[in-house]
Amino acid sequence: MLINLSHYMSILSGASFLLCACLSFLFIKQADASKSLIKNIFSNSCYLLFISFGIYVYLAISDDFSVEYIANHSNSNLPVFYKISSIWSAHEGSMFVWILFLAIWGYFFNLHKPSNDQIKMTSIGIISLILFGFMVFLLLTSSPFTQILPLAPENGADINPVLQDPALAMHPPTLYLGYVGFVIPFAYSISFLIHEEYSYSWERAIRSWSVIAWSFLTIGIALGSWWAYYELGWGGYWFWDPVENVALMPWLAATAFIHSLKVSADTRAHRSWTILLALLVFSLSLFGAFIVRSGIIDSVHSFANDPERGLYLLAFCSIIVLSSLFIYANKYEKLSSKKSTLISKQSFISINNILFITLIFSTMLGVLYPLIFEYLYNEKISVGAPFYNSIYIPITIIAAVFLVFSIEINWNGSLSKIKLLHPLSFSIIFAFVITLYLYQEFEIKNILLLISLFVGYLIIIRYLFVLFMSKYINIASFCAHFGLGVLIVAISLNSLLSSERVLNLNINETKTYKGINITLEQIKVLNGSNYDSIKGFLKVNDGANQYILEPEKRRYFVRGQITTETDIKVTPIKDIYVTLGDQLDDGSWIVNIQLNYFIRYIWASMIMMALASLFIISNTRRQS
Amino acid sequence: MKNIFKLFIILVPATFFIFFYFYLSEEKIYPGFQTDEFAFPSFYLETLDDEKIFLNEQDLPSTGLLNVWASWCITCLVEHPFLMNLKGKDIKIIGLNYKDERFNAQNWLNKYGDPYSEVLYDPKGSLALDLGVTGAPETFLIHNGKIIAHYSGEVNERVWTETFLPIINKNNIKNL
Repeated sequence: MLINLSHYMSILSGASFLLCACLSFLFIKQADASKSLIKNIFSNSCYLLFISFGIYVYLAISDDFSVEYIANHSNSNLPVFYKISSIWSAHEGSMFVWILFLAIWGYFFNLHKPSNDQIKMTSIGIISLILFGFMVFLLLTSSPFTQILPLAPENGADINPVLQDPALAMHPPTLYLGYVGFVIPFAYSISFLIHEEYSYSWERAIRSWSVIAWSFLTIGIALGSWWAYYELGWGGYWFWDPVENVALMPWLAATAFIHSLKVSADTRAHRSWTILLALLVFSLSLFGAFIVRSGIIDSVHSFANDPERGLYLLAFCSIIVLSSLFIYANKYEKLSSKKSTLISKQSFISINNILFITLIFSTMLGVLYPLIFEYLYNEKISVGAPFYNSIYIPITIIAAVFLVFSIEINWNGSLSKIKLLHPLSFSIIFAFVITLYLYQEFEIKNILLLISLFVGYLIIIRYLFVLFMSKYINIASFCAHFGLGVLIVAISLNSLLSSERVLNLNINETKTYKGINITLEQIKVLNGSNYDSIKGFLKVNDGANQYILEPEKRRYFVRGQITTETDIKVTPIKDIYVTLGDQLDDGSWIVNIQLNYFIRYIWASMIMMALASLFIISNTRRQS
Repeated sequence: MKNIFKLFIILVPATFFIFFYFYLSEEKIYPGFQTDEFAFPSFYLETLDDEKIFLNEQDLPSTGLLNVWASWCITCLVEHPFLMNLKGKDIKIIGLNYKDERFNAQNWLNKYGDPYSEVLYDPKGSLALDLGVTGAPETFLIHNGKIIAHYSGEVNERVWTETFLPIINKNNIKNL
C-alpha cells in the first residue's frame, strides 16, 4: 500500500531530523569534523519527507479514497489542480504542507555555502529540532495517513465550494512559505547568540532569505484579500478577521525586521533589536499556527476544534519561544552596538520599528481581548474594524512621515541641508496641492483621511524625485516604498469614494445609480452539477460603454450552502461590482451594486512591494 | 534595569502561554448558557426595514427566539448558516440588530440571506443593555413574554441540541 509507504517515510524522516538535531548539538564545537555528516543527514531527511509528500500528492491525484483525509476532502470529479489543492483544504493536510515548506527552506539553506560553518551547523540543528517537533505533532495528533479499512468509499465527499478557486488554492501555500521562511533568521540568530562570535556579521548571511520570506508573506496576504473580495461577496478587501490579523502581525514584525537588519548589516547599530525582531517574527508565525489550529478562535479560517492538538502546539511553541528568549535575555548585553545619534537614518528606522511594534501589540490585544473577556466573564464579544482603524490610521501616518524624512538623512546623522529648492519642498507642495484639489472636489470632511492622502502622495512624489533626479538609485527601496505610497493612497481613496446601493429591479426595469444605468434583462434558473443557481443578466451602461454583468446565487446540495457569485466589471479607476439578492414579494429582485474605487491598486501595490525583494537578492549577489 | 528587561521579555510571552493553557484545559460545558428567568424589558424600537414601531414585549411573539447580531460581528457570520437552518424548520427568530448601521445591516441580510421574521434596529444598544448583552451574538429564548434561557456566543447544532432543546422540551414548548 502506497499510503503506508508514505506514512513510514514520514516517520523515518521525523526520526532522522531528531538524529540530525542531536548530532549538531553534540558536536556543537566541532563543526569542521561534523559538518558534512550533518549536512548529509539533513538533506536525506528532507528527501524522505519530499518523497513521502510526493506519494501523497500522487494518491490524491489518483483518487485513493481509502485514505480518510483524501476521501473527506477530495472528489473524483475535481480537476487535477483542485485534487492537489484539496490537500491543504483542512487541518491535517495543511499541516503536512506547512512542515514540507519548512523542510524546503531548510533544504536550500543547507545547500547554501556558509560564511560561517559553526553558526550554520547549529542553525541546521535548530531547524531539525523544530521540524522534529512538528512531525511529532503531525503524526500523533493530526495524521493525514489514517485509512478507511477494509472498504474504501467509492467517491470522496464534496469539497467546500467556496474553496474551489485558483486564488484561494494558491493563498495558503504562499502564506505558509512566508511564515515558515522566517525559521532561517530565527535559527541563525539564536545560533549566532549561542556561539558568541560577535564580530561575525550574521546579518548579511540571512538578508536574502528574510527578504524572500517577506515577499511570500506579502503576496500570500494579497491573494487572500483578493479572493475574499470577489468570492465572498462582501466587497471589501480586509475584514479584520482574527486570522487575518494573525497573518498581519508577522508581516509587520517582518517588515520591521528587514529594515533593522539593513541597519545592523550596514552600520552595526541596533544589533540586539534586530535579533529580538528575528525571534519575534518567527514566534508570531508559530502563534498564528497555534491560534488557527487550536480552535481557540471562531473564524472563517479556523480548523476543527480539538483541545489535545491545542495543548501540544501550545507546549511546543512555548518551549521554542521561551527558550529562545531565555538565550537572548542572557546574551543581548554582550552585543556591542554602536550608539547612533538621535537624528540619523538608523534612529528614524528604529522609531518606525517602535511604531510597528505598537501596531503588533494593539492587534494582539484586539485578537486576545475577546478571549480574555470570555475566560473571565463567560461571554463572547467581537472586536471590529473601528478599533483597528483608530489605531492603524494615525500610526501609519506618523510612520510615513518618518519614512519620507529618513530619505533626507545619511546613515550616520546630519540632516542634509534642506533649501527652498530641495525636492522635499517640492514634494510637500505637490502633495499639498493634490490633497487640496481632492478636498475641493469631494468635500472631504474626515481630517485623518485628508492627512493620509497627503502623506501617501508625499511618499509617491518624493520617490519619483529620487527616481528621476538622483545619481544613485536603490531600485528595491524605490519599489517597496513607492508601492507603500500607492497603497496608502489607494486605501484612502477607496474608503472615500466607494459607495454601494441596494436596488430592487423588476424585469426590464432600468434604474440609475451615480450615472450608471442598470437594466435587469432576465433571471434564469440554472442547474449545475452539484448546485442550483439563479443567475441575473444585467445590462449596465456607464455612459461610455455597455456590457452585461451576470451575478449568480448558488445553493449547493450537499451542505445547503448558499454562495454568491459576484460579477465585476474592471475599469482603470473603479470596479463595478454586482451581487444578486433575494426576490421580493412584489416579484422584483434585490441587486446590490458597489462602486469600488482604486481597489485593484491595493493589490497591485502589494505585488510591487513584494517585487522589491528580487532587486535586493540580485544586489546581494552582485556584492558577494 | 537590565534585569527588569530580561524578566520582562520572558514573562510577557510566558503569561500568554499560561493564559492559553488555562483557556484550553478549562472544562467548558457551555458557560455561555444561562437559565435564569426574567421579564422581558420594556422597549421602544423601530424595525430595520420599514421603520415600523415595536413597543414592549406585546408586539413580539409570546414564544420564540431573539438573536442579537450585527454586520460587524464575525462570529455572527459563523453562526448565520445555523440560523438559516432553524428558519428552515419554521422556527421564528426575531433579530435584534446591535450597534450597527442600518445600511450595513440591510446589506448583510441581502448578501447572506435573512433568517429573521422581524429585525429590530437598536443602534444605541438600549434594549441590548436592558437584556444584559455585552456582545454579539447572543440568543434569547422567550416563553410567555419572559426570557427563560439565553446563550452568549455562537449557537450551532451542538449547542442547540444540548442546551436549548432540553429547556424547550422541559417547558413543553410546541410552536416555537
